[in-house]
Amino acid sequence: MESARKSIFPSAKDSWESIAIRELAATDKEQAISHLQSWNLHVFARRVIDGETGEMGNPILPSDVIFVEPPVKA
Amino acid sequence: MLDLVIRNGRVVDGTGLPLFAADVGIRDGKIVAVGKISEVAKEEYDAKDQIVAPGFIDPHTHFDAQLLWDGAAKPAIEHGITTIVPGNCSLSLAPLKAEHRMKLVGMFNQIEEMPHKAFEEGVEWNWETFDEFVSRIEKDLTINVAPLVGHSVLRLWVMGDASMQGPANETQIEAMKDLLDQCLSAGAIGLSTSFVDMDERLQPVPSRYSDTHELAALCDVLAGHNKILQVVHEFYDTDLTLARVDQLAEISLKHGITTTLSPLFVNEDNAEGAKQIMQRVVDQTARGARVWPQVQTRPIDISFTFSVPSLLFIRLPSWYALMRFNTPDQIMLTLQNSEARAKLVAEAQGMMSLWKRLVLRQVQTDANQVYVGKTLAEIAELRDTDPLNVMIDLSLEESLDAHFLSSDMGHNDDELVASFLTHPNVMIGASDGGAHILSFSTYGDTGYLFSRFVRQCKAMGLEQAVKKITSDTASLWGLDNRGFVKTGYAADITIFDDKSIGRGPEYYVQDVPGDGYRYVRDAIGVDAVIIGGALAYNSDSGYTDARKGRVIG
Repeated sequence: MESARKSIFPSAKDSWESIAIRELAATDKEQAISHLQSWNLHVFARRVIDGETGEMGNPILPSDVIFVEPPVKA
Repeated sequence: MLDLVIRNGRVVDGTGLPLFAADVGIRDGKIVAVGKISEVAKEEYDAKDQIVAPGFIDPHTHFDAQLLWDGAAKPAIEHGITTIVPGNCSLSLAPLKAEHRMKLVGMFNQIEEMPHKAFEEGVEWNWETFDEFVSRIEKDLTINVAPLVGHSVLRLWVMGDASMQGPANETQIEAMKDLLDQCLSAGAIGLSTSFVDMDERLQPVPSRYSDTHELAALCDVLAGHNKILQVVHEFYDTDLTLARVDQLAEISLKHGITTTLSPLFVNEDNAEGAKQIMQRVVDQTARGARVWPQVQTRPIDISFTFSVPSLLFIRLPSWYALMRFNTPDQIMLTLQNSEARAKLVAEAQGMMSLWKRLVLRQVQTDANQVYVGKTLAEIAELRDTDPLNVMIDLSLEESLDAHFLSSDMGHNDDELVASFLTHPNVMIGASDGGAHILSFSTYGDTGYLFSRFVRQCKAMGLEQAVKKITSDTASLWGLDNRGFVKTGYAADITIFDDKSIGRGPEYYVQDVPGDGYRYVRDAIGVDAVIIGGALAYNSDSGYTDARKGRVIG
């Protein structure tokens, strides 16, 4: 079976930062966050309102697929 | 004495084997004889020159609400459907506490486009638990119902508002497991979950706040009952779909259950991706996993007016918000405001190639009848403007009751679609029956399978097509004693003319509670439909008074 694009399921408290530190430890943190956001536009572009504050909440949901590597080039 | 005998038919029995001439005898709701039958019966049906097949099974529907005012799920039966699976995509109408009713109605409205007024005027809310819901709908069922229970409603019942805030704790997971167990014992055929849907505030539905631990716990319960997991996934993206196939494969292997994901579309521009997904399914199947993508037969057509939020505008935030959160009068006022209109036009300019192709399908005023059937590009030329502005102008002139059609939006390459429909690892389904009632007709996919892919494209034989939508589906969904014309099986039978079966044109009809409308299609070539041994429909006199449908989870 061909190897799949590497992905994880986030934990409930995960943020871009925590995923960057854990999954892309060898990369500069800010750059890793930027990579993650660009590889996961399906999550980054999401607008999730925090139920308690009414403010923009963490868009990462525990059921999401979060890619931790770029798309394979066509 | 038999209750009913169907004589002189050509039996396509659901096995995929060649058809054969035989009579079919029925007693007490079951098939008791297949062959030359001399025994007399209370009723006889002459099926000369007709195909006698197992009743078709539609595995992806949202008839949940409709079943509360229409136990036949019209027009499903006249298209040959004898069993439907509602409760897909994490949404079922039970179990449901009274205080959560309006929240769930909002989700059905947003996701399945079922109008609020239909619930207000068509639904007597007299159940909370799943078994109460089963008792409620079984009182007046013509069609068989194999219901899923929705993950989002399990969360709502157990967690309330917290269901849309984060994962469940161990106590809540245990409560959900107990609740799922009760639902499965009361007739649910499995669990549905969603990785993509949003509620009417455009916030993720409860199931999306669950984590893998919670889903695994619920799959443990499914395993105990040998039931299925259905998911709606990120079908618009190949990589995400591949990840979901892998996730479902792991779930299937770990818990020993069947899983299905729907829908899987195939277009010219995603053909390679779709093939990659199917290869992944094949590879995971070779490992022993059971992951079944559902593929629909019909091409994607979407109709809309400006008075209801349409999927077509989902990528235009200002347009979608305008239609989602405003009354028709407010929408009219906004479009009449030159500044607001200019902003909307600017946002939609990038989709001009789509607006050009749209066809005006229906208007109310005499003055605009002349444009019906023309594309917006053609009308724009006649009016010396552009297609986007003509769409707005017509909507204003028609008090938002101008209907536009975007046809052939995808899933419309016959050769490609046929290669998926005939794939041994594909389940034919994903009709969405009973949903999206103001966008397109979700009825007639079975007729289209025969007219387009059996007769016209010759992509599959009659027997293979019948097998795909009867015994294959019954086996995958664990519907015991369904899907074959064989002795001992339930007498759910569709009698049709294989030379003419098809779907009629889509039309708009006012038959939804609350004076609501929907798009439907009539059947072509379906002669009679027998459910639970009783004639439920025939093409001469329409629906009968038979009420032999059951909940068959």
